[in-house]
Formats: sequence, structure tokens, C-alpha cells
Amino acid sequence: MNPTPLLGARAGSGAGGTCPHCGTAVEGEQDAYCCGGCELAAAIIRGAGLERYYAERSAFPPRPEPERATHWRGVPVTTASDGSCETRLVVDGLRCASCVWVTEKVLQHTPGVAAATVSYATGRATIRWRPEETDLPTLAGRIAALGYRPRPLAGEATPDRDLMLRMGFAAIAAVAIMGLYEGLYAGWWYGAMDPRFAALFRWTSLVIATPVAIWCAAPFFAGAVAGLRHRVPHIDVPIALGIAILYVQGLVTTIIGQDGYLDSLAMLVALLLVGRLMESRGRRRAAEAATALAAAVPRTVRRSRENRIEIIPVEQLRAGDLIDVGRGEELAADGVIVSGSGLLRMALVTGEADPVQVAVGERVVAGAILVDGALTVWVSAVGDDTVVQQMARQVELAAERGAAPTSVDRIAPWFTILTLVVATGTLLATWWLIGLQPAIARTVAVLVVACPCALALAAPLAGASGLGAAARRGLLLRSSDSLRALATVDVVAFDKTGTVTAGALAVVAGDDATLRIAAGLERYSTHPIARAIVAEAARRGIPLPRGEHVRETPGLGIAGELDGENYRLERGEAGEVILTGAFGEAGRIRLGDVTRADAAPTVRALRAGELRVVMLSGDRSEVAQDVASHTGIAEVVAPADPAGKASWIAREQASGHRVLFAGDGLNDGPGLAAADVGIAMGTGAASSVLVADGIVSTDHLAPVLAGIRAARAMLRAVTTSQRWAVGYNVVAVGAAVLGLVNPLVAAVLMPISSGIVIWSASSVERRVRRAER
Amino acid sequence: MNAFLFLLPIALVIGAVFVILFAVAVRNGQFDDLDDPPERILHDQD
Repeated sequence: MNPTPLLGARAGSGAGGTCPHCGTAVEGEQDAYCCGGCELAAAIIRGAGLERYYAERSAFPPRPEPERATHWRGVPVTTASDGSCETRLVVDGLRCASCVWVTEKVLQHTPGVAAATVSYATGRATIRWRPEETDLPTLAGRIAALGYRPRPLAGEATPDRDLMLRMGFAAIAAVAIMGLYEGLYAGWWYGAMDPRFAALFRWTSLVIATPVAIWCAAPFFAGAVAGLRHRVPHIDVPIALGIAILYVQGLVTTIIGQDGYLDSLAMLVALLLVGRLMESRGRRRAAEAATALAAAVPRTVRRSRENRIEIIPVEQLRAGDLIDVGRGEELAADGVIVSGSGLLRMALVTGEADPVQVAVGERVVAGAILVDGALTVWVSAVGDDTVVQQMARQVELAAERGAAPTSVDRIAPWFTILTLVVATGTLLATWWLIGLQPAIARTVAVLVVACPCALALAAPLAGASGLGAAARRGLLLRSSDSLRALATVDVVAFDKTGTVTAGALAVVAGDDATLRIAAGLERYSTHPIARAIVAEAARRGIPLPRGEHVRETPGLGIAGELDGENYRLERGEAGEVILTGAFGEAGRIRLGDVTRADAAPTVRALRAGELRVVMLSGDRSEVAQDVASHTGIAEVVAPADPAGKASWIAREQASGHRVLFAGDGLNDGPGLAAADVGIAMGTGAASSVLVADGIVSTDHLAPVLAGIRAARAMLRAVTTSQRWAVGYNVVAVGAAVLGLVNPLVAAVLMPISSGIVIWSASSVERRVRRAER
Repeated sequence: MNAFLFLLPIALVIGAVFVILFAVAVRNGQFDDLDDPPERILHDQD
């Protein structure tokens, strides 16, 4: 088979070819790679015999970036009895199914790998390898060489196997009991069964239903007990009451030789457990995403002692130690630079994306990332004493808010009281009017059909559906509570750096000719400025020329020959690089932070949705105003420090608004915690992710909008299905009071009401799509 | 009708076997990831 690429050039092909790996336009040579990274990635793919990837992919891969050194030694690895090691990682940047496929196959073809799988749904890689042949840093390096970013995975939420087991048993039991009861119901029309067989059927049903009521339904009883003990209204209270009454009624009727509601009992428990499962699955996904981001913090450091370097866990580091920090690494402690120099990005602490030049004698803080250079740092504070940890602790304190009872939980006590009142009324009235026996039958029927099964299902199903709809669009929410809060938000506040703007170095200004030459020189460099220039040239569709005799002097610049002329590219004033040719200056390129491409359309759509959009920035007022006017944000609060942002949010809340705040740095932590909904940009600081209700997992702002749409759709779906559920309960209780409900009627009505709720909950995705049009 | 006297226990035993199989499958983690396998089937050709 001859592989034909499905994809054309990424942008303006012009004369010359395109990089066969990433699709960037390249000058001159046909099929020349745009950079060393792409060439290596292609070599790995071809080396593993996976050329099919190029024919089948539906999106270009990211251009491989120099790997950000991660502390793979601190990652937990399990060792099996046969000596093989296994671990799980998260892989970022997987854009299409072919990306997943090629990553998985490349890992499988790596010598020493026993097994490897990469999940299509979550981008999680599970790798098993033989430690004598390869190691984790090597394997992570292979993934990074392809252009994807492997990250360690911190704690993982285990799937709720227990709940699954209960649900499965309840479902199997429901089918079995339904079959037996069908026989009994048939006897109502075709003449009663032989009493011996009827008793056999009833007792068999009771035997099957007993573990369903006691074991399968245990989570609901536990929830009800916890709710009552803490005096928190909870929907589990009326549900547990309903299940208990169903079972006791079934027990009594079986003993006295009548038909009970045991078939309804098993089906109801199974359906309720399905709702629980959906809820826990959505919550697990979001929790995993959050822990994966938090895992970026280094766990080992290189301590230099008496001219020896040793690798130790970060917990063993003490003040007064000397540590080595290499390019791409994150500082694990506060301290003072004793030797070396470099570019340090302190976005985590200051919120500013631009890296700053640091040299001997300067103070540095934990959490800063060394973009370039190498440092030896004398440690002054470790662990909880570091600036970053102190800020994180304040944030955590602010985040300690109890989970608010949901709307369903709030009506639960009224529901319970009303049911008991109606039941008592029915008992007394029927007893007085007709007699004791029908009175008991009707009272039990009232209590049975009043069980708010459909009501309890509505919220978790619509919630799971809404969480899924948001996640597919790049917003991972912690729980359906966050989704509910998101639906009623009326003020959307954005941080500037890293939220409205990309928070990374990018070209702001520079003409095509200058950019072309600069990109030609910088093509193989891994410096952040070089990456920004090459990326911009690729974006504009400028074919990349190839510089000759390129010499890079770290910290100073780059020089080389292009089109037969000598050029030098050097750092100019702040945020500028100057290109000098043989006859003096040939051009300048300005670099800085740029607004995200989708910021303006997102803001427009938010405002069309009758939301107030505000920008809270720690930057100078003019800079903030400039970004705001570019994106259509009318209201700007600047300059505002972290506490200022939080108090602005608190003031808005005091005047009755419900505020969503999206930010990235640790300096946004207090704001994220104070807001009704805090959303952390996934590219931001790990600790801000910990306090946020949601995480944007892509490099876009639009997921915030998608999340609001999903939340509103979810709220409408819940409202609709709760109306159905309440309507059903009113009608069914009314019928029960009049003595029209018997076990067969209940067995037909309950699945119908639950079916309507499920159908309504599944409308969330449809509603979101309609809103997007 | 007397057939039920032995059919019903047989049915219960068969049901119990399936419950046990289900429990084993759950404990082995067969239901841990419900999102990935339906995707995987589209891509695995070897």
C-alpha cells in the first residue's frame, strides 16, 4: 500500500516543500524537515515501521520541543514478581486517534518494553518494562521526541468497583424477580396459580430481593444515616425510607401469601445505582485530571556536597544545602544563586510569563522554572517554609468550603414530611371510611410510589451528561456541584496573563523578511525566543530557509550565514531582538505575551449570553486596558494584587452577583477560591489547580464558554426532568390514595418515569450543540 | 407445574454462576475503563 498523506501543507506552501512530520512550510528542498526535533520524531516512527501513521493521521502533531526535564526518579513504579516494572503517565498534546496509536506503537517497539497502552479517552499511558534493558527516563524521552509531553501522574482515583458490583447484582436480581413476578401477575387474569407454586415464586423472589435491599442498597442507607446525623437534608433519606418500606412490605406479603413490590424494589435499586455510578465516574475523571497537573512539582533534587552530586528526594533537602538546577527544571526550594546564570520564569509566583535573567547573588523561589542556563543555588527555605507553599496554604484555607446541599437535597425533608403526612392521612381516612385492611394496603402503596427514584436520578444523570459535554470541549470540572454553580454565574472575571493572553513568549511585531532570516538561523535552536520566532514564521506560512555555519552563543545570541550574507541576531531592549546584517541593522522583532486567538470571540459570545465580562489584572492599568480593548472586555480592574482580586470578587458577591473567575498563576489562588466557580488554566500553576473547581485542559479560552453552555443546558435538563418526576409522584400518590395502585401498576409506572428522566438528561449534549450554532 | 420444582433451582444456580462471573470480571478490572475499549477497536488492526 502506498501511503498518501491526507493532509496538505499546514500553511501557505509556496515554493519548496513542507516538513513531512509537522507540515511546516520549508524553503528549497522537497521533504526537508523543519527542525532536528521533527527529523528525530520521523526517524523513530519509521524505525518502528509505523509509516502508516502519516497516511492515517487527521491532524498534524505538535512540533517536538526540547524536553522539560522531569524528575522521573520520583515517580512511583510498581515492580511485579517477574522483575518487570510498571507505571502510569499522562501524555499531553495527543491531538487525534493516530497520535495515540503512534505513541502506543513506538513504546511497544522500544527495546525492553514488555507492554504499553495509551488510552484514547484520557491520554494515559500504562507502560511495563524490563528494568535491566531500559528505564523510565528513556521511555519518557521517546514520547517527548515524538512531540508529545509525558508527565508523571500523582495519585489516581480508583474506579468504584464496589458500586459496579452492587449495581450489577441488583440488575441481575431485578430481571430474575421480574420473571417470577410476571408469572404471579399473569395469575390475576388467568386464574390464580396453585398456591404452593405461588408461594414458591414469592419466597424465591424474597430470597433474591433480600441481598438487594440489604447489601446493594447499603450506600443509600449510609447516606441517609449520615444526612440525619449531621442534620443535613439529603435525598437519600426519602429514598432509604422508600426502599425499607418496599422490602418490609414484600416480607410481610410473602409471609401472608400475597403479591408484594419486590420486582419494583430490585429495579429501583439498580436504576439508582446506575445514577450513582455515572456520578462517581464523572467526578473521578475530573479528580484525575487535577492530580495529573499537580504532579508536575519536582520530587527529587540534585544536591551537590563536597563536589559530589547526589539525587535525593525533595523531603530530605535542608536549608544550607547546595542544589544544582539544569535547563527546563523547576526549583524545589527557595534560595540564593551562588554560581551560574540563566533565564528564570516565575509565572507561578508573580503571574508574569516573561522569563527574567538571573545571576549570582539573586534570590530565587521554589516553583520557578529555569528556561535556560544552569544554576547552583544555596537553599534558604524548604518545604512548607517556601514562599510558594505559604501562598498555597493561604489558598487552601480559603478553599475550605463545605459542599452545599443540592436543590434536590433541599426539598428532600419537605418531600419526606409531605409523604408521611399524606400516608398518615390515607391510613386514617381509609380506615374510617372503608376498613383497616384496605387502609394498610393503600398507605403502603402511597409510601412505595412516593419514593423519589426519578427525582434522585435526574440530577446525577444530567450532571454526568453535562460534565461529559464540558470535558469534550476542554473543561474538566471537579463535580456536578461545580457545574450547577457554573449555570447560575452572571459575572465572568478573567485574569490577564496566561488566561486572556497565552502566557508564553510569542512574536508581537516583526516583518516577514526579518522573520524569515531570523527563523532560518534559529531553526535548530531550542531557546524559547528561537521557538517563538520559528513558530511565528510557521504560522505566517513563511517557508523556512536554512542558515549555514550557525553559531549560538548562550546568553548573547546567534550568528550564521543565509542567502550568502552574514547575519547576527541579538537581544536588544526589553522584549526585542535585533537582526544585524553586513550593512548594519536589518530588522527588529518584538516579542511578548499575546492574547489568545479565541479570546475576542469567546468574550463576544459570553456577553451575548448576558454575562458581565471583567478583567482582573496584576499588571499596570494601561497594559491591562490595551489587552481588554483588543478582546472586547469593557470592564478592567487593574492593578490588583492577589488579595485585591479576591476582595473584588467578594464585593461583587455581596451585591448579589455570582462570580466565575478564571486564572492561572498561584497568585490567582485566593481569587479562584473566593469565586463561586474558579477555573484554572491547565497551563498554569499546579497549586492553583488544586483549589479550582475546574481546569481548562487545552490552550484556549473557549472551554470556559463551553462550560457555561453545558452548565445551563444541564440545569434546564434537570429542571425539566425534575418537573416530570414531581408530576409523576403527585399523580402516582394520588392514585395510591384512591386505591388504584397495586404491585403491577407500580412495576409499570416506575420504569416509565425513570425512562423519561433518562431521556431528558441525555438532552444536555443536544442542547449544548444548539447553543453553539 | 411440577417441572418448576427442579427448573427453578437450576435457574437459580445458573443465575448464581453469572453473578460470580460478573464479580470476577469486576474484580479483575474489566469495567474500570469504559471509554477506551470502544475507541481502541477502531484502530487496532494488528
